[in-house]
Order: sequence, then structure tokens, then C-alpha cells
Amino acid sequence: MANNDAKSQPFTALIEEATSRAPENTPSWLAELNMQAAKRYAQVGWPHARAEYWKYTNLNKLAAGAFALGDPAALAAVPRERILPLDGPQLLLVNGAFRSDLSDISDLPDGLSLRNLAETTEQDRAILGALIEETISADGLPFAAVNTAVLTDVLILEFAPGIATERPVHVISLGGGDGAAFAPRLVIRAGDGAVVDVVESHVGTGGYFADVVTQVSVARDARLGHYKMQNETLDAFHIALTTTEVAEGAVYDSFVLSTGARMARNEIRGTITGGKAEYRINGAYMGNGEQHLDNTTFVDHAAAGSRSREIYKGVLAGASRGVFQGKILVRPDAQQSDGFQMNRAMLLSNKAEVDSKPELEIYADDVRCSHGATVGELEEEQLFYLQTRGIERNLARRLLVSAYIDEAIDEVQNPAVKEAFKQMAAYWLSENLTRNIR
Amino acid sequence: MFLLQIENLHATAGGQEVLRGIDLEIGPGEVHAIMGPNGSGKSTLSYVLSGREGYEVTEGSVTFQGKDLLDMEANERANEGVFLAFQYPVEIPGVAGMTFLKEAFNAKLRYSGEPEANAMEFLKMVREKAKALSMSDEMLRRPVNVGFSGGEKKRNEILQMAVLEPMLSVLDETDSGLDIDALKVVSDGINALRSPDRSMLLITHYQRLLNHIEPDYVHVLANGRIQCSGSKELALELEANGYSGFEGEAA
Ligand SMILES: Nc1ncnc2c1ncn2[C@@H]1O[C@H](COP(=O)(O)OP(=O)(O)OP(=O)(O)O)[C@@H](O)[C@H]1O
Ligand SMILES: [Mg+2]
Repeated sequence: MANNDAKSQPFTALIEEATSRAPENTPSWLAELNMQAAKRYAQVGWPHARAEYWKYTNLNKLAAGAFALGDPAALAAVPRERILPLDGPQLLLVNGAFRSDLSDISDLPDGLSLRNLAETTEQDRAILGALIEETISADGLPFAAVNTAVLTDVLILEFAPGIATERPVHVISLGGGDGAAFAPRLVIRAGDGAVVDVVESHVGTGGYFADVVTQVSVARDARLGHYKMQNETLDAFHIALTTTEVAEGAVYDSFVLSTGARMARNEIRGTITGGKAEYRINGAYMGNGEQHLDNTTFVDHAAAGSRSREIYKGVLAGASRGVFQGKILVRPDAQQSDGFQMNRAMLLSNKAEVDSKPELEIYADDVRCSHGATVGELEEEQLFYLQTRGIERNLARRLLVSAYIDEAIDEVQNPAVKEAFKQMAAYWLSENLTRNIR
Repeated sequence: MFLLQIENLHATAGGQEVLRGIDLEIGPGEVHAIMGPNGSGKSTLSYVLSGREGYEVTEGSVTFQGKDLLDMEANERANEGVFLAFQYPVEIPGVAGMTFLKEAFNAKLRYSGEPEANAMEFLKMVREKAKALSMSDEMLRRPVNVGFSGGEKKRNEILQMAVLEPMLSVLDETDSGLDIDALKVVSDGINALRSPDRSMLLITHYQRLLNHIEPDYVHVLANGRIQCSGSKELALELEANGYSGFEGEAA
């Protein structure tokens, strides 16, 4: 049940602030969109403590935070060592607003149309608005409503049919400053037969709240590699929703590496609308200290004859906590669907914890679906074997954990991005597994 | 001076006393064989020497090159020159054989304060040693021991020994599971490392290994104690008559 007293909800004041700060020349469609979203948020409400959908992720600390809208004109340096190390065009968002002045768009691929809020088309606006309808769904999606209610800019990447990019387009979201709340909004559209890669890196400085929404569509026979590095500061909150539509014959290859934020939720909701599609959502999460890393996914097989595959792996040190909630829905008409889902977690301390909740909801009778979850620790026997070869215990731990995580990263289909993720994972290990922990 | 000196060693495994007073001295260049019935404590001795957790020394001492071996971490013992070829080599998923060897080799160099190995030269050196053991490059690319046959795992142990060039090699049933040709290849690999200052402790059930690697001494370990020691002829006698009469008093 939603909280009916809308006035008392967290972020209501933030939405009001956004409304009052909206410039004179705000286009009426945007003002209308913001307003509809604010209304929706008031209806949907803040997830209450017993909400199944938020069962493992407590939002009290986020609710207790005092946030004001982040300044889109703020100047902050990109922490280069925290973003995915990749060549190619870089699009910078500061507190959610696209900053062409700080972006490197000198060699954008031909066939990519890049639009900000002022340049949106009718269709773009329809897409932005469509998410509001989705927030009515059982799960509520309150943070998508908040994102839309305070929206002042968007970044739309539309890849023309048939084009192929050589290097991924890298979107860097930079959060600036203590107490800043901001709402990056991305729309990624791969046209028929396009073969393209988009990378997101989420970084920042200070203790802020990033409320991220990315809307993805992969048209007929297209292939989109969509990769995300969540590397926010350890004082930040990161709540992200990615919605995906995958058409007939299309491939969506996604990977999310979460190493940052004190509390992060990365949610991916996908609908497979045609046959022979391949929907791949994989990821890894690496936590330490008091970090809380939530991975929630929902796959909707709405058409016959498609495959979904999902492998997540986690490494949890200190008193960190990991969450994996994955659901596969196979609709009555989606015969010959093939769904696979697996979450594996490795706990490196006895204070670390993981909650796994894989779920299948199948209404078709001719399908192949399986799921599973495992929790383990480093194998003492393997550590000893490495030690008997002269390798220090700490290095042995790093080698074993690195091998474990790299196996998940191997799912990434773009070789350069795969390498970049491995570097980030290795960096995390060198920063976090230095002390002798038993 | 002895390379290894074990005095009155008592140790427990999983809380139970398994070694009940071992005395053994190994001089430089010597090859000692230990034989004994199943469950007599041979592998336990190898684990105690290499520093495995869960194997607790309750009495006695082990001195290696004049240093207290029992006071060292497992990796320090290895870097001081003690090598254990496992009875059951461990699979390490995701870590390529070559990476593993390089980490081990560099750990040893680091330990002795030397700069890390040149990657190309190291690769060349390993390939040569692998070739001598009839191991393909493909096996070095695969994760350590994962999916290896029993014999391939044993060969891999000897490759590691050949690369690390230990002062004391403890080989725990390295001959088990090897076919006749592999036994020859592995024995040649072991013999190649024999030198006036390197020593070996061979744990085996079979005389046939000792045909290839001639031991200076043979010991019978039973009931946690060395019951009898002799020359290589003792192995022949055991092969003929079994362990009856060598078992000492039971616990
Ligand atoms: N970790 C352990 N926990 C409990 N018991 C153990 C453990 N390790 C060894 N033991 C026991 O100690 C005894 C000696 O075992 P060990 O493996 O040393 O024998 P072994 O001489 O190597 O035998 P084999 O010839 O079969 O290899 C056995 O009874 C075994 O069950
Ligand atoms: Mg044994």
C-alpha cells in the first residue's frame, strides 16, 4: 500500500523545488510531463518497509538525507581513474544535464543523432512520457517518477538503421557535491540492423543522490552493447532504472559492474517483443565496508522463440551486503522461450551478506527456463595450494577473487569493454583486498 | 649439516594425533623414500612440512637449512626452498597455468629481493621445461589443473617443481595414476633436478618409482612413526612381504 499522505513523502519538497525553479521559458510539454510525473509519484508513494519489491533494500538512510537539486552548471573534474578506460567519444553529464562544453564529440560515429532536451522530437517526448504509464505497474517505480518530475534535461542517442560503431559512445554522469540530488535521463535507440555500443560511467564527488533512468530500444536485427560502470563515491546513493525493449532478431548485450555508492540499486526491466532475439543481462558487484548493492532485474518474454541469459557474480567484503532479485516472466504466447538466470556470490568476511531471490513465472508450456543462486567463500584448499608455490596469502586471495569475477566479465561481448571492466575489477581488488582478512 | 632435520615430531590432523614422534634427517643431495600403509600419516607429514592449516604440531621441531620451518607461513617455506607435489593437485578455476607459474616465480624473486622476471625470457624457460615433460602450450593456457587427467595433474606438479627449483622436494605419490610412459617422463623430470645440494623426499607405495629414481634411504612410516629405515633393498622386501611386522604398536 502506498503512503497516502503525499506531503510527508521524501522528495516531495525536492519536486516542489524543481517546479518553482523551472525557468520562464520551460516548454509547456515539459512542464506538463513534470507535473504528470509528480502526480504519479504522489499516487505510487514511497516504498513502505514491507514492500516485497524493496524487501532487501532499506531506503531509510536515503529518506533521511537532506537533498537539494544539484547545479547543472557546477564545474567538477572527472575522476578519470574511476571511469571505464576506453577510447572514443565522451558525453558528459553534470548533475544530470548534458554539457557539450565538457564533452568530446569531435568524432561521433556517422549515423548517431544526439539530442538534448531542446532538440527533442515528438517521438522522443512520447518515449519520455511512456515511462510515466509504466510507473502504474504493480512495482510502482517511484524513483522513475521522481526522475521525470524533476527532469530538466535529457540525452537522446539515436543510431540510424544499419550503422556500425567502431568504438563505444561513452556517457559519463558526474555527480557534484554533498547533498546534491539529480536525475540523469538517457534514451538509447538502435535502429533496424544497427550494431552499436554505449557505455555509461557513473562517478562523482561528495555525498549525493543519483536518480538515474535509461530507456533503451533495440530494433529489428540490431545489436546493442550497453555497459555500465557504477562507481559512485562511497557517500553517494545511486538508484537506477533501465528499461529495454528488444525486437525480433535483435541482440541486447548488457553488463553492469557495481563497485561504488554506499547504497545502490540497479534495476533492469526488459521486454522481448519478437522472436529470435537474444537478451543478455550480466553483471558483477563488489562491495566492502557498509556498502549495499542491489541488482534487480525483470525479463518479460512477450514473444515466442527468444532467449534470455543472465549471470551475476558478487564479491562482498567487510560488512557489505549484496542483493539479487531476478524475475523471468514467460507469457502464454511466448512458446519456445529459453531463459537462464544465475546469481553467484562470494563472501569474503563473516559480516558480509547476500540475499538472492530468483523467480520464474511461466505461462507457456513449451519453454526452457532455469535459475539458481549460490553463495560461497574462498576455498581454503586453493589458497593453500597457491601459498605452497610461494604466493603470499593476500596475493593468492586477489588472484582467486579476480579469476572469479573475470569469469563473469567474460560475458561482455565487446572485447575493449571487457578489458576495461577487468581493469576496474582489478583496481577494486588492489584497493580493497590489501589487508589480511581471514 | 642436514638440509632438513625432523625431531620427535608430533602432530594432529582434524584434532586427532596422526604423527607420533617422527625423527628424520635429510642431508644435501640425498633422496629419501617413505613408504607405509594407507592412513599411516605420510600425507600428513607432507602437510605439516608445508604449513597447511588444520595440521597442528603438538611437540617436536623441524629445522630447514638451520631455520625453524614450523615458524614460517606456507609461502615463506616455499620461498625458502620447500616444495610439495600434492597427492591430489588442486584445481584453480580461472587462473591460467602460465599466470600461476609467473606469480609463483616472481613471488620467489621478490622474497629474495630480486627484480621480477623478464616476461619473454620466463615464457621461453617455461615452454622448454614443459616440452621436456611432454606438456603442450595449450595446457599452460588452461586454468591450473582444471579438467586435467590424473596423470596430467601430476606432470603439472613436476613442471612447477622444475620452474621453481626447490632445495627440498616432497613428492607425495607423484607416481600414482601415471601410465608407464608418463612415469618415465616424470621420473626424468625429477632426476633432472637432482644435484649435490638438492634433496628429495619421495612418498610412494610402489617400488617401480624407485627403479627410476634411486633412493639413498627407504623409511617405513606406520602408526605415525618411522618404524624402520634402510637402503633401497628395503623397498624390495616390502614389495614382496607387505607391511606386516613393520606396523609397530597401534594407537
Ligand atoms: N584433516 C583431517 N581431519 C581428520 N583426519 C585427518 C585429516 N587429515 C588426515 N587425517 C587422518 O590422518 C590419518 C593419516 O592420513 P594421511 O593422509 O596422512 O595418510 P597417508 O599415509 O597419506 O595415506 P595414503 O597412503 O592413503 O595416502 C588418516 O587416518 C586420516 O583419516
Ligand atoms: Mg597420502
